[in-house]
Amino acid sequence: MTRPLGREGAGQLDAALAGRLADTMFALSTPSRVLILGCLLAGPRSVSDLTETLGMEQSAVSHQLRVLREHHLVRAERAGRRRLYALYDEHVSVLLEAGLSHVDPGRPGPARYPEPGEEAGGAS
Amino acid sequence: MTPSRPSPARGGRAGVTRAAFTAPEDRRSVLDRAHRGDIVGALGRIPSQETGPRRSLRGHAAALLAVLGPGVVVLVADNDAGGISTYAQAGQDYGLRFVWLLLILAGALLVNQEMVGRLGAVTGAGHARLIYERFGRRWGAFALSDLLVVNFLIIVTEFTGVSFALGYFGVSRYLSVPLAALALIVLPAGGNFRRWERAVYVLVAASLAAVPLAVLAHHPGPPPGLPAARHALPEGTVLIVVALIGTTVAPWQLFFQQSSVVDKRITARWLGYERADTVIGTLLFAVGAVAVLTACALAFSATPLHGTFTDAGAVAAGLARHLGPWAGTLFAVTLLSGSILGAISVTLSASYAIGDVNGTRHSLHRPWRDARVFHGSYAALVALAAAVVLIPGVPLGLVTTGVQVLAGVLLPGALVFLLLLCNDRAVLGPWVNPRWLNVIASSVTALFLVLSALLVTGTLFPHMTISWPMTALPALAAAVLGAVLGARLVPHGPASPPRSSRAGPPAWTMPPIETLPPPAASRSRMAGLIALRAYLLLAAVVVIIKVIELIAG
Repeated sequence: MTRPLGREGAGQLDAALAGRLADTMFALSTPSRVLILGCLLAGPRSVSDLTETLGMEQSAVSHQLRVLREHHLVRAERAGRRRLYALYDEHVSVLLEAGLSHVDPGRPGPARYPEPGEEAGGAS
Repeated sequence: MTPSRPSPARGGRAGVTRAAFTAPEDRRSVLDRAHRGDIVGALGRIPSQETGPRRSLRGHAAALLAVLGPGVVVLVADNDAGGISTYAQAGQDYGLRFVWLLLILAGALLVNQEMVGRLGAVTGAGHARLIYERFGRRWGAFALSDLLVVNFLIIVTEFTGVSFALGYFGVSRYLSVPLAALALIVLPAGGNFRRWERAVYVLVAASLAAVPLAVLAHHPGPPPGLPAARHALPEGTVLIVVALIGTTVAPWQLFFQQSSVVDKRITARWLGYERADTVIGTLLFAVGAVAVLTACALAFSATPLHGTFTDAGAVAAGLARHLGPWAGTLFAVTLLSGSILGAISVTLSASYAIGDVNGTRHSLHRPWRDARVFHGSYAALVALAAAVVLIPGVPLGLVTTGVQVLAGVLLPGALVFLLLLCNDRAVLGPWVNPRWLNVIASSVTALFLVLSALLVTGTLFPHMTISWPMTALPALAAAVLGAVLGARLVPHGPASPPRSSRAGPPAWTMPPIETLPPPAASRSRMAGLIALRAYLLLAAVVVIIKVIELIAG
């Protein structure tokens, strides 16, 4: 059913890979989770830090962190007796920065897609 | 590939966004991405982008066949090992006297299951999640932990059913139970919803083997039990009535159907078909249950076995002796498919609830590697329950007692939560209960509150004689009081737009669950939760008295 089509060629992904990426994007589909990730962009935080900064309930923060961990967007690390949460790896911060500058063009971020007037290569 | 690639310019992007999300079903909040997409049923498929009305009769039929499933599965699975044994006992010991009760129970089931089906389609969230969000963590944890314990015990009874059924064919339980457990674990592991549903339909069809059994069962004398039914009910039959109710109306059904509707990706657009699914399931439940009871009533009337029920295995042997081997075989097939179907649904209801509460992936669309907690908890429950059945000397009678007591403790809570959720405008918007349904549903809830209390007391203190007036008067009073309260129950929460016209705006669905306003503190909500606390306190007192009695005795 999910025959791999090869990642090169016509630029198609295989269905399983597309599904995994869609799962990751799904984890980003709730504003409260995006807010948590936004906080973590600045560095590792504990649950109580996040609760305080975002004004969310602790149970809500914990719940959303569980979802983020399941999708490998966040990882937990020990710092002494405290448990800190951090972005899973470099990809996640790049993904977030890229996403933020995509929706907010004024924001500095990774190189943006060229506007239609700037280059004719928009349509493939 | 695509004819025109969306322009990244701001105007173009906005246009693309609108075009991609016109269907509100796509924006509907779900907890797992796999709960979004095409409906892929055993008997048909509905693409997720379809939102318009279906006009032809054939279109309606195709949609019904595709949606069919959650209601049929949950209600036929209700005729599981415990159910079939109790119907057989009622038939063997009391003739046709209690057929009316099964029909009333079918009505109560229909009311409850329609409500959870609606909650699933409109909210996209499981029952456990909704309880956590709307009633807080304590009630949520209470509902979840109680559900897990009761479910585990019920799965043990399902495996006992499997060992009785295959034991009739001479298969040792040391072979039949592990094989059944393995089949149960392998079935959903591939992550193919359609294949899972097809296998379940085969079990649904096989469980109807009781129908030819009832039709072919002949009886030598007058119809058993019928004349007596016109007279007063004999003493000592209260417990069988309460046991019938206890095995028929169980909390896992609420959790299972709601999660199943969500996992099957049925949205508010398809709610009409989901209701039809529930009605068809109720009919199948009634047919199956009445068939088992009738077959046992007809076969054992005027025989020495009348009034001597021991267990389902003995029923199969007795049927074979009095009617012929074919009858024993039909009963064993019914018992086997009912037990396996029950084990599937009860286990899944637990696994769905765990994923639902923890935010981990939980879907039959996902293979094992994609949803380890979901499949892992399912496999662990099945394997543990199977192991318990195989340990020699485990008092299985105690398991049945445990099921009845805990189910009796949990059920009223589940029903009160259900009723309150169905009157919460933030959750159901325009789909909240109409007043007439509130009258019926609260009457049913109050009735079950009294009957559950009786079930707990009667199970824990078997020597206490519970007479009919002692049962009927409070039950009747509760039903009337419930109806009066139900008539006064007013949906609370923010006003909502109309639920949509046929060709008009798309159906209303619940916004993302974390954006909901906190539940309004209405009078009905307070009354419901206070009644629930009082009931739980009472049940706890009864259980503690029993424990003290056991220790002292």
